Amino acid sequence: MSRFFTTGSDSESESSLSGEELVTKPVGGNYGKQPLLLSEDEEDTKRVVRSAKDKRFEELTNLIRTIRNAMKIRDVTKCLEEFELLGKAYGKAKSIVDKEGVPRFYIRILADLEDYLNEMNKNNAKALSTLRQKIRKYNRDFESHITSYKQNPEQSADEDAEKNEEDSEGSSDEDEDEDGVSAATFLKKKSDAPSGDSRKFLKKMEDEDEDSEDSEDDEDWDTGSTSSDSDSEEEEGKQTALASRFLKKAPTTEEDKKAAEKKREDKAKKKHDRKSKRLDEEEEDNEGGEWERVRGGAPLVKEKPKMFAKGTEITHAVVIKKLNEILQARGKKGTDRAAQIELLQLLVQIAAENNLGEGIIVKIKFNIIASLYDYNPNLATYMKPEMWQKCLDCINELIDILFANPNIFVGENILEESENLQNVDQPLRVRGCILTLVERMDEEFTKIMQNTDPHSQEYVEHLKDEAQVCAIIGRVQRYLEEKGTTEEICRIYLRRILHTYYKFDYKAHQRQLTPPEGSSKSEQDQAENEGEDSAVLMERLCKYIYAKDRTDRIRTCTILCHIYHHALHSRWYQARDLMLMSHLQDNIQHADPPVQILYNRTMVQLGICAFRQGLTKDAHNALLDIQSSGRAKELLGQGLLLRSLQERNQEQEKVERRRQVPFHLHINLELLECVYLVSAMLLEIPYMAAHESDARRRMISKQFHHQLRVGERQPLLGPPESMREHVVAASKAMKMGDWKTCHSFIINEKMNGKVWDLFPEADKVRTMLVRKIQEESLRTYLFTYSSVYDSISMETLADMFELDLPTVHSIISKMIINEELMASLDQPTQTVVMHRTEPTAQQNLALQLAEKLGSLVENNERVFDHKQGTYGGYFRDQKDGYRKNEGYMRRGGYRQQQSQTAY
Amino acid sequence: MASRKEGAGPNAVPSSSATGAAGKGKGKGGSGDSAVKQVQIDGLVVLKIIKHYQEEGQGTEVVQGVLLGLVVEDRLEITNCFPFPQHTEDDADFDEVQYQMEMMRSLRHVNIDHLHVGWYQSTYYGSFVTRALLDSQFSYQHAIEESVVLIYDPIKTAQGSLSLKAYRLTPKLMEVCKEKDFSPEALKKANITFEHMFEEVPIVIKNSHLINVLMWELEKKSAVADKHELLSLASSNHLGKNLQLLMDRVDEMSQDIVKYNTYMRNTSKQQQQKHQYQQRRQQENMQRQSRGEPPLPEEDLSKLFKPPQPPARMDSLLIAGQINTYCQNIKEFTAQNLGKLFMAQALQEYNN
Repeated sequence: MSRFFTTGSDSESESSLSGEELVTKPVGGNYGKQPLLLSEDEEDTKRVVRSAKDKRFEELTNLIRTIRNAMKIRDVTKCLEEFELLGKAYGKAKSIVDKEGVPRFYIRILADLEDYLNEMNKNNAKALSTLRQKIRKYNRDFESHITSYKQNPEQSADEDAEKNEEDSEGSSDEDEDEDGVSAATFLKKKSDAPSGDSRKFLKKMEDEDEDSEDSEDDEDWDTGSTSSDSDSEEEEGKQTALASRFLKKAPTTEEDKKAAEKKREDKAKKKHDRKSKRLDEEEEDNEGGEWERVRGGAPLVKEKPKMFAKGTEITHAVVIKKLNEILQARGKKGTDRAAQIELLQLLVQIAAENNLGEGIIVKIKFNIIASLYDYNPNLATYMKPEMWQKCLDCINELIDILFANPNIFVGENILEESENLQNVDQPLRVRGCILTLVERMDEEFTKIMQNTDPHSQEYVEHLKDEAQVCAIIGRVQRYLEEKGTTEEICRIYLRRILHTYYKFDYKAHQRQLTPPEGSSKSEQDQAENEGEDSAVLMERLCKYIYAKDRTDRIRTCTILCHIYHHALHSRWYQARDLMLMSHLQDNIQHADPPVQILYNRTMVQLGICAFRQGLTKDAHNALLDIQSSGRAKELLGQGLLLRSLQERNQEQEKVERRRQVPFHLHINLELLECVYLVSAMLLEIPYMAAHESDARRRMISKQFHHQLRVGERQPLLGPPESMREHVVAASKAMKMGDWKTCHSFIINEKMNGKVWDLFPEADKVRTMLVRKIQEESLRTYLFTYSSVYDSISMETLADMFELDLPTVHSIISKMIINEELMASLDQPTQTVVMHRTEPTAQQNLALQLAEKLGSLVENNERVFDHKQGTYGGYFRDQKDGYRKNEGYMRRGGYRQQQSQTAY
Repeated sequence: MASRKEGAGPNAVPSSSATGAAGKGKGKGGSGDSAVKQVQIDGLVVLKIIKHYQEEGQGTEVVQGVLLGLVVEDRLEITNCFPFPQHTEDDADFDEVQYQMEMMRSLRHVNIDHLHVGWYQSTYYGSFVTRALLDSQFSYQHAIEESVVLIYDPIKTAQGSLSLKAYRLTPKLMEVCKEKDFSPEALKKANITFEHMFEEVPIVIKNSHLINVLMWELEKKSAVADKHELLSLASSNHLGKNLQLLMDRVDEMSQDIVKYNTYMRNTSKQQQQKHQYQQRRQQENMQRQSRGEPPLPEEDLSKLFKPPQPPARMDSLLIAGQINTYCQNIKEFTAQNLGKLFMAQALQEYNN
């Protein structure tokens, strides 16, 4: 029957005949291999409603089909095999046959087969003769049927079709009653078939076209079909070719049919199908296009899958049903996702053509986008560029519609049942969440960026899409600001923030640099037109989220992004305060990995910001965690470490890969390390000089010491090449108080290119750095060489380190106050007078010895405890007290160190 | 250099501290049955040892050699010596025993005492109480009962006073070494402490009369200034080194104690377990008895609970001994230096 819908150009009797076959046709064999998802779907639904009869008959038709195929390619051996199987299958179906009577199609194949065998007798002689004998023998049983069939094939087919129609409807009704399967399921089954078939036809035809032998067959078959009357109509692919022959008849039969259908209102569903199927044709009829198309030959048959039977009146219900059909195939195995997308797009076109209203279009669009996302079954793979483009366009269109039609309500919480797609009087309600789509889109974008080689032109091309993504997010944001709930607004704001926080706002920066009075009025206007500063934007978005957000995660992310943004724009104090106020440092280890990565990024950015401000200590502290692990790359989500490849399995690696930050968000690792090492140098070198003889001194930065050791191990020391070597060389110079050499190692062409030029305000940073080096070198010098001076003029020092006198004065004063330098200032002569109060080497040694003996005694007491039993409460208390005291001392010492270095 | 050595030599008296220590050692050892009461060293031997170090020893490296002589009653006379050659990794097949034999045979040919009576070793800041020394001295003393080890401290000697000491293992330690059992219990049973490991034998340096005459003559001729090393006030370096070494030993000691502590803990834990196991066994047996079943077979508890390996205590004894030596060194040194400082102060005041 559906066959009939597909072509619609056959005479009624013939088409219904073939239709009957189709309805009962099983999905096995080549049918199942079709690329179209609908075939699968059909199978599924059929499986639900199939009765025993159907099942048997399907089996038979399946076999018949194979036989016909074999006949077509003159494979008599195959024919024979299949015929034997057919005989068996018929035996199985005996009981049903007894009840229902011998099925028409069975008789038909027998008749056909006989005819066929009579016709060709030369090839495959042996199998042929066997088969011939068999079929003669077999057909004797059905003699009466066959003769009647042969006499009046059309009529019998018609009856059959009629009967089948009743049957199927009856069964569908039953289904509704029994299984609660909606009518839509049934309808879908019906309407699926045509599109699936048409597909199949196409494929077949292509095959035949390609095959040179087949073309021969075609001719052959053509003659065969004419000779064997209507029987071969179901031979797929020939249909349209044949159609021309019957076309003259077609319109009338169609008209009749339609008239008849209209009377039968209760069979409206079927009618719909046919009508929709007809629709195209009718239109084409009007234009007189049909003739031409058919004449164009079989291969030209439209590639597009047919959505509806021609002539169906496109209504909301129909379209929605169709949509549901398509959607039900979603996610099923073997579903051709590309075809599904195509179908949906066709559907949206049809809907648009028929002016079904925006509601339905929006609904379909939602689904198109969803299936675009579904296209890749694997989470790890990313969208193809064309799909991506399609997706972007689709979302854009969707947003266009939503903006154009403020009466459409979109929401996840709208149930399917309560959707209002057509009633224009009331506000349209569509289920679906634009926000989710956009979020997904953003994720896809990230995925694309992750999977593109960051050093290729391709990456740049993809990156250009970022503007589009941002624009879409911006639009959705605007839309949601009007209609969304606060929760949704928070979510979209977060998206916006995520696309904003890492970008350095050059415009705002420029504006800051050029004072307003310098720039002309017009320029200012222009600047204003270019949109608000990202800082203002961030402020606004973040504050909204802080105030309204209920989920912790969004707020956490927002805070981190906000801090990052502050830090990026050198607003150190805001960034730091926000970080401290948020108390994120305390509980970030409980967050999920992506948030932790964001946290790490933020901390790093914070450290770099502090460095730019000249706050080396803060910079060092912020970077310590990341750098000391030696896994900065991994912690920042900027790459996987090879080392741990063995430790993780495939799955973990995939997960980790998904966490990677796209390249355009990366923080330069060399810059990071350099900043860390330089700040460590500025802290550590004076500290080392001050505590040279102290055995208990602690390292401030292990990493830095490691680098120093590596430098020392070098058997031959050439001029520094890498950034690290530069820093190590500079540290050595600084140790000697030689600030000029140190300066030349830290700031030179190579280092500029590698590191310093990466800062937005490179010159400022360099100036800061020079000054820092001068100051710290002065301190180091004083620590190292104070013992050889009795007194030293501050002017000399100022000259040596090219610092102005007040600075030198303040540095020395601070050192004296912190008891780092045993000296006093002689005001009239501007000199520093050294005092010798440091313990001598022997005194130091004696102190250490005392400490060690202390621990020895403690250990010994423990042994004693063992011998004596553990009742020595007095000792224990005392010991604890001692330890506590020591701890306190240590902490005190540490604080002192801090105050020493923090100025 | 030579004059200084001779300057110390003719006095022919053992340094006061050396005798003191020896006396104390003897007193505590209380055995008195030691084979040797006194060591008499020929001037030649002293010079040869000094020369040997001067030529071959540097820094922490030590030089060793063989002492030759004879035993006269309870006095050990050392009349000659020869050094062990410094051998490097290259000539690994160098046979020391062979060399010694050869050497002794040669010396015998020139009519020199060839009885092997011990060995000598230089030391670096008095760090000689080691396992190696203990082992080799044990083997010497085991083979030749009277043998001693002479410890020569070149650094102290350079400061103006010859430092040469003769040591022997105490009979107690000999016994312990013979048993080769250094477990805590064995040492406890032997009642041995770090003070009773070595006994110092008083040394007398003896020269022939002719040499003594020569000395007197030389002394008349030489200026007083030659002896000023004795008065050197530069003490910090020496003290620092000593402290450093002392600290290292204390560290080692600490570690050793921690090890011992762990052992103790493990033992007591195991004891507890053992006890619990036994109790459980007993209870079960009682129950079985009441039910009329045969008691469970006795199992080897020592197999079930293998006692932890006790740490060898000899090392800690040695370390303690070494610490003791350092402490004495430092005490001695500081005492001398304090004297010197007071003297210097007095001089200053006098001058002012």
